[in-house]
Amino acid sequence: MSERQATGGATQRLLSRRDRLRAWARHHRQLFGSTLSALLRDWMGLMTTWLVIGIALSLPVLMLIGLRQIGETDHRQVIEPAISVYLSSPSGSAVTQGLVSSLRQMPEIRQVTLISEAEALAEFSERSGFFDVLNAFSENPLPAVLEVRSVSTEGAAIRLLTQKIGALEGIDSISFDAAWRQRLSSVLLIIERITLALGVLFLCGVVLIIGNTLRLTIENRRHEIEVIKLVGGTDAFVQRPFVYRGFWLGMGGGLMAWIMIQSSLIYLSVPVETLARSYRSDFALEALGFQESLALLALGAGLGIVGSMVSVRRHLVKIQPN
Amino acid sequence: MLTFDQVFKRYETGQDALAEVSFSLDPGEFVFLTGPSGAGKSTLMKLAIAMERSTRGQVLLDGQNLNQLPARKIPELRRKVGVVFQNHQLLFDRSVFDNVALPLEIAGHPPSEVKSRVRAALSKVGLSNKERDWPVTLSGGEQQRVGIARAVVHRPPLLLADEPTGNLDPELSREIMSLFQQFSQLGVTVMIATHDLDLVREIPAQRLHLQSGRVVQP
Repeated sequence: MSERQATGGATQRLLSRRDRLRAWARHHRQLFGSTLSALLRDWMGLMTTWLVIGIALSLPVLMLIGLRQIGETDHRQVIEPAISVYLSSPSGSAVTQGLVSSLRQMPEIRQVTLISEAEALAEFSERSGFFDVLNAFSENPLPAVLEVRSVSTEGAAIRLLTQKIGALEGIDSISFDAAWRQRLSSVLLIIERITLALGVLFLCGVVLIIGNTLRLTIENRRHEIEVIKLVGGTDAFVQRPFVYRGFWLGMGGGLMAWIMIQSSLIYLSVPVETLARSYRSDFALEALGFQESLALLALGAGLGIVGSMVSVRRHLVKIQPN
Repeated sequence: MLTFDQVFKRYETGQDALAEVSFSLDPGEFVFLTGPSGAGKSTLMKLAIAMERSTRGQVLLDGQNLNQLPARKIPELRRKVGVVFQNHQLLFDRSVFDNVALPLEIAGHPPSEVKSRVRAALSKVGLSNKERDWPVTLSGGEQQRVGIARAVVHRPPLLLADEPTGNLDPELSREIMSLFQQFSQLGVTVMIATHDLDLVREIPAQRLHLQSGRVVQP
């Protein structure tokens, strides 16, 4: 029930909490659509802002996708070196076959690939320069090789495994370039950190772009804000349309980013797959799935809201009726 | 309803806009605020709605001490006041209806109520047929009247008007004045700042006369 203020006959109706809640909901509902149509009135400016936000969002996301897909276990073989086990017996012999099955049964070993002398010769021949050298031999000088990939990626575990293998029969020598492995790990870590740092910077950039765009809008609507405050509008009331604008700017930017990312992934997918296959890998670039796409839009919208709250509030509070 | 107690207002330039101003308005009182240009009438009104804070002294609006009021409570206070300023302060990007409806929307009145109240306010100032028009198409006097409609639409207990009849012809001025008198009779506290001494003479009411920032006998 509403109360009436006792000032004689001219009563100002004081609204109940329920009325005010309804009004708040009504304001939000109305703003959801009206802010978008207000933005669309200057559709060229809007498109530009959306494109800029899209670019700023798509770069870190693309890098994140790249990192994630490289990091996945199945694809490690592209960049992870194997332990090379040079055999003393031919690849078809019983000793070698027995060795291969023993190794395959070991739990520390993930994969054992046998490269026969003939295959080794073929591979070497493909590399320029070696063809002439090999031709000088009347027989194939190359031994059979086993490429052993361990489950663990830790240096200590791999060294232990190497010693264990070395004790078996049918082996001429083993090589594992630990230093190379360390270097690779460091490089990967650096790339990961650069990606994260750039990602954070770009996301901050998005927040700042949106904040800046909104500040310009506020300047253009200064008179309106002054009048609303004169008539008793709160800071929250005044800020609400700008938060919705931020939401739409971020959402549209997210959509643009989605388009850019999907296009980039499609554009890159063929050459990447070709390269992967040359490493005998079945690595493939995957386009963004449904959940990931939603997450991207949510990220854009979220950044938009953050951008509007962070930079706009201070500016709005400063504007007072005059 | 509105009390000034030994109020001083000094600007950064060193000017004393108001000095030792004291008065008290009861609910339903009708007062003319007179004085030459620069006497401090506008400053007084600004202090009354917390647009500025007094340098010294207290301003009490409906019992609230404006100097001690935190900034976040000011909007609530302003909703108790209807202001009519000389420069209309209309929004030109929306219709007359939307302009008048503004205080009601801010307060959160339901749309049906807003419609009936806005129409009532517009009819009181004689602009019922201009509801859908845009302020830019109205004359100065009509814009002034829209401002008045907006100031009264939410039935505030205090009405402050700074030269409300400045753009109006004598007949219209008298109509608007009688409107203000009606409000006062209904219990609204009304303070009108004006130069127009003819108007002041015509209407029997209290007078608060300012000269160089001080309250003096007229």
